Amino acid sequence: MSIKLKALLKSPWVFHLSTGSCNNCDIELLDCLTPRFDIERFGMVLIGSIKHADVLVCTGSVTRKCIPRIKEVYELAPRPIIVVAIGECSLSRGMFIDSYNCPVPLDKIIPVDVYVPGCPPKPEAIIAGVTKAIEKIRKSIKEKK
Amino acid sequence: MEMILYFILFGFIVSTLVGALISWIDRKVTARLQYRVGPPLLQPIIDLVKLFGKELLIPKGASKITFLSSPIIGLVGIAIVSTLLCMINIWPEKTFFGDLIVVIYFLILPSLSIILGGIASKNPLASIGSSREIKLVLAYELPFILAIIVPILKSGLTIQIGQIIGYQAANQAIAWSLSGVLSFIVILLCIQAKLGLVPFDIAEAETELAGGAVIEYSGPALAIFKLMKLMMLFVLPFFMSIMFLGGLNFTGVGAVKSLLGFLLIIVLIIVIRNTNPRLRVDQALRFFWGPVTILSIIAVILATRGL
Amino acid sequence: MKREDILNGIKDRFEDSITEFSDRSKKRVYIDIDHKVIKDVIKYMIHDIGARFNIASGIDARTEMEILYHFTIERINIIISFRVRINRDKPEIDSITPLIKGAEWIEREMHELLGINFIGHPNLKKLLLSEDWPEGVYPLRADYKEWDKDAIRDRGVK
Repeated sequence: MSIKLKALLKSPWVFHLSTGSCNNCDIELLDCLTPRFDIERFGMVLIGSIKHADVLVCTGSVTRKCIPRIKEVYELAPRPIIVVAIGECSLSRGMFIDSYNCPVPLDKIIPVDVYVPGCPPKPEAIIAGVTKAIEKIRKSIKEKK
Repeated sequence: MEMILYFILFGFIVSTLVGALISWIDRKVTARLQYRVGPPLLQPIIDLVKLFGKELLIPKGASKITFLSSPIIGLVGIAIVSTLLCMINIWPEKTFFGDLIVVIYFLILPSLSIILGGIASKNPLASIGSSREIKLVLAYELPFILAIIVPILKSGLTIQIGQIIGYQAANQAIAWSLSGVLSFIVILLCIQAKLGLVPFDIAEAETELAGGAVIEYSGPALAIFKLMKLMMLFVLPFFMSIMFLGGLNFTGVGAVKSLLGFLLIIVLIIVIRNTNPRLRVDQALRFFWGPVTILSIIAVILATRGL
Repeated sequence: MKREDILNGIKDRFEDSITEFSDRSKKRVYIDIDHKVIKDVIKYMIHDIGARFNIASGIDARTEMEILYHFTIERINIIISFRVRINRDKPEIDSITPLIKGAEWIEREMHELLGINFIGHPNLKKLLLSEDWPEGVYPLRADYKEWDKDAIRDRGVK
């Protein structure tokens, strides 16, 4: 595996985007930084600007007002980028599936690599999800060879 | 010809490696203080390698030349300072007249490059970060220059770094006198602001300004900014150690003592970083132009008296 | 002023406009009021009694529309709600934004989600819905039907 990809997998910087959530998934994501589930030992840091990010973490069911903004954030992220959808609301809008303000799920707008179900998912589930993303990229590189 | 070799060796390789080690110590100690496990040893280097592999995006209305050249200006400035300090520390006879002023002049370049980069990106958050950095530079340069006068006065009115080292080798280190202690404290606070660490990291306030002045940088340009910050983590405590503790010796028991002095400065920086909240820019301005300047003036007056 | 004095004061002042007075519990009182006198009631509550305007709620009951205005008086720990009933085919009421600046946004929200027209409101435009929402479609009404052909409403599992 090339050294660029190795370095990417050893120090992913995470950008958090909430598209209209109830904030439970956001709290669980911030829990990952606390001493119990420390993610800084994997090199992950919560970063402020999308242009510095390697992993785009989306929570929340996608509201109509947010759709053009999600597309703009995805275009601003420098490639290569991994997209992770956290919580039931971003997988399939959860209990808001018949709502007037949430027409489509997240993966009809931007391509998603990893889905983490749960309402809200535990921090252990979030860490397992990101680890699976890393494994998936490693496997796809090996298969290409 | 050998100058280019020294430039690459001392300017880039030594400062990058030692700076990465100091940055790792900083993150590990912070993590341990918060009852966590910290990152592994090579984490700062891996961050740099990863950033070199990402895409470089230039915003649409930004001025391309300033945007792309300001990281390089900062990097070259800090590399020159690192080369000068390392060479004069190892061979004190290579000092020339006025090299202290050259060092102080080139130490402004890193902060200037962040200001230029923030203004060149066409982003309102970046311009707020740049304007705050301008105010911070105005704040801490005044007591910095005043406190540098104390080692000049005590070592017999000389502005050559090699002669300051020679004076401290012959007599005691400048930090063991009363005026030396006061100016040591002043320069420690100014270095905390120059490095952009809490409580003075106003320009890069992460949660408030989403990255501050470097918000539009990505890929290799951001990697050069991070490299510049790593090198500053080595160069500035080294400068303090040369001016106040007699530089780094390499022979005998003096080697251990000087290394402990260098580590003491780093530990003080880490402790101040972990125990303080962030100041607003007007509070920082009042702090630097109030108590800190008065402290440095008292130090200069005591130095003229010979204390 | 004590709780009984305040409630008797409201009862005496707006005797002929109150249709129903229900003293539910120690902390909650519901008063039904005619919609023409709503501005006088609000003025009385703000200036004479010193209550604080909390929020307003809008409901689509099938035969009419209701708006409730909630006021709190913290020193005696009570919430008083005024209910007005308005016509459902052409819902209109005087806006209270000229009296209370803080009611501007809740009236905008009620206008875009329920279709109630507030006469005298300075800035009646959309608050929460997106710009491409069609005019005349009010989502929180009981007879709202899905108008979006591109919306996906099944979970994709058989």
